[in-house]
Amino acid sequence: MELKYPVSHKFCGLICLVMCLGGPAKAHPHVFVDARTGFVFGTDGQLEALRISWTYDEFTTLILFESLDLDQDGDGQFNNADRAAIIAGETNWDSAYKGDVYLELSGQDYPLGRPEAAGVTLNNNQVEVSFDLPLSQPIRIETAPVFLRLYDPFFYYAYTIVPPTDPSDLPEGCQALIVAFEPNAAESALKDKLAALGLDEIPAVENVGRLFSDEVRLTCG
Amino acid sequence: MWLRIGAIVLCILAVGAAVWGIVPWLEIQRWAAGEQRTFQNVMAGALRGIQAGDPSAALTLCSATAAYGFFHALGPGHGKVLIGGAALASGATLKRLSIVTVLSSLAQAATAILLVGGLYFLLQIGSADLADLTEVWLAPASYVAIGAIGAVLVFRGVRSWHKINQSKQVTHGCCGHAHGPSADDVATLTTTRDAVVLIASIAIRPCTGAFFVLVIAARFDAFKVGCLAVITMGLGTAAFNLTVATSGVVARRLAGLGARNHHGVQAISAMLHLTGGVMIFAISIVMLLPYLR
Repeated sequence: MELKYPVSHKFCGLICLVMCLGGPAKAHPHVFVDARTGFVFGTDGQLEALRISWTYDEFTTLILFESLDLDQDGDGQFNNADRAAIIAGETNWDSAYKGDVYLELSGQDYPLGRPEAAGVTLNNNQVEVSFDLPLSQPIRIETAPVFLRLYDPFFYYAYTIVPPTDPSDLPEGCQALIVAFEPNAAESALKDKLAALGLDEIPAVENVGRLFSDEVRLTCG
Repeated sequence: MWLRIGAIVLCILAVGAAVWGIVPWLEIQRWAAGEQRTFQNVMAGALRGIQAGDPSAALTLCSATAAYGFFHALGPGHGKVLIGGAALASGATLKRLSIVTVLSSLAQAATAILLVGGLYFLLQIGSADLADLTEVWLAPASYVAIGAIGAVLVFRGVRSWHKINQSKQVTHGCCGHAHGPSADDVATLTTTRDAVVLIASIAIRPCTGAFFVLVIAARFDAFKVGCLAVITMGLGTAAFNLTVATSGVVARRLAGLGARNHHGVQAISAMLHLTGGVMIFAISIVMLLPYLR
């Protein structure tokens, strides 16, 4: 089987995929992530990067401790080597993996760069990894909304977008609204989508997958 | 004849699909995932408690793993498909199926304990590699075994249908009494051999959740507590799978009500073999697909 994630992400993916009586991964989230999102604007008012943070559940945090052999001195704190190991595992992903971060602009996935300025903290027995994802080209946001979604098409990781701890300063007139996933809406949207397909069309899995995710809707002006 | 079998099998599958469609799976899954998350966190807390020497942490861990096993089993998985299909097809009593269900979950826990005990301690193989081993080799092996069981059920169904037809011809031809297959000829899972095969095909693939509990417990010098926790996790999984086995047996009994005579009973048994076999085979192929690419 082709492994799609780099070390620790791949590894966590496996956990999810394989746990007890686990069958099709669709129904089996194993790693629960509370995600925070932010938008980085340049001085010219264009959107330059996304600020993402992942807070893993306590069990996944323990697994990370075990698999990366963290906190060898047992003081409950991370040292520089621990942080470097986590950052390498979490953000040095291969090009096929998109970090489960999708920015939609006019119905298209907008290309994103690789993680920058990564950091790690440990709070309440949960590891938090944060990083910036630059946009391939800065864009000017206008009244048409831009959607930011965090999801794993295979649902090994269950992302919940939670409000940012310190709301980033959005430019004058811009708004970022978190729209939580709602089962009924997603189910009926899926049914509409499937009903709209012709008999010879196969639904694009990714597009179906995104119906089931939380999203952040960014508008300006 | 084939048209008739096909029509009946399709009918049973269609009714099944309709029932499936009514259930709000998305909401159930979401709820189950939320519960799983809760118990996952309790497990983590209990493991840290064990590390800190809290005497009650072992009990907390075992209760949490049992609940985790139950909620985790709510998702579609290989064990349930096999147990459900076998319950539908087999001639086994509910008691017998229940024993098979509990034993298969316990055997799965045992596989995890043996793998971690053997590979992690003796060969110093890390938990990431254990997960890799499970995913790359054991999971597809389990799906192949389950697919094969599905194929055997289909084969048995076709064979008994064939026998029924032959005996009908004989009856009409001369002697006036049937040489049909006995009820035992068409029943499945009434032998120990069948049961062992069923249990083994589920147990090949251990639970990685169990791996991680064991490995983390081992790191905290509490491997024995980890083993106990994994066994209770298996019991939690078994508790859910028992409901699947019960539904399968009930569905089989309901189907049996339609039979008017000996031939009818056999024909329905043959059809249920086909239905259960096709279901198990098809789902195991779906689970195998990612490995065939």
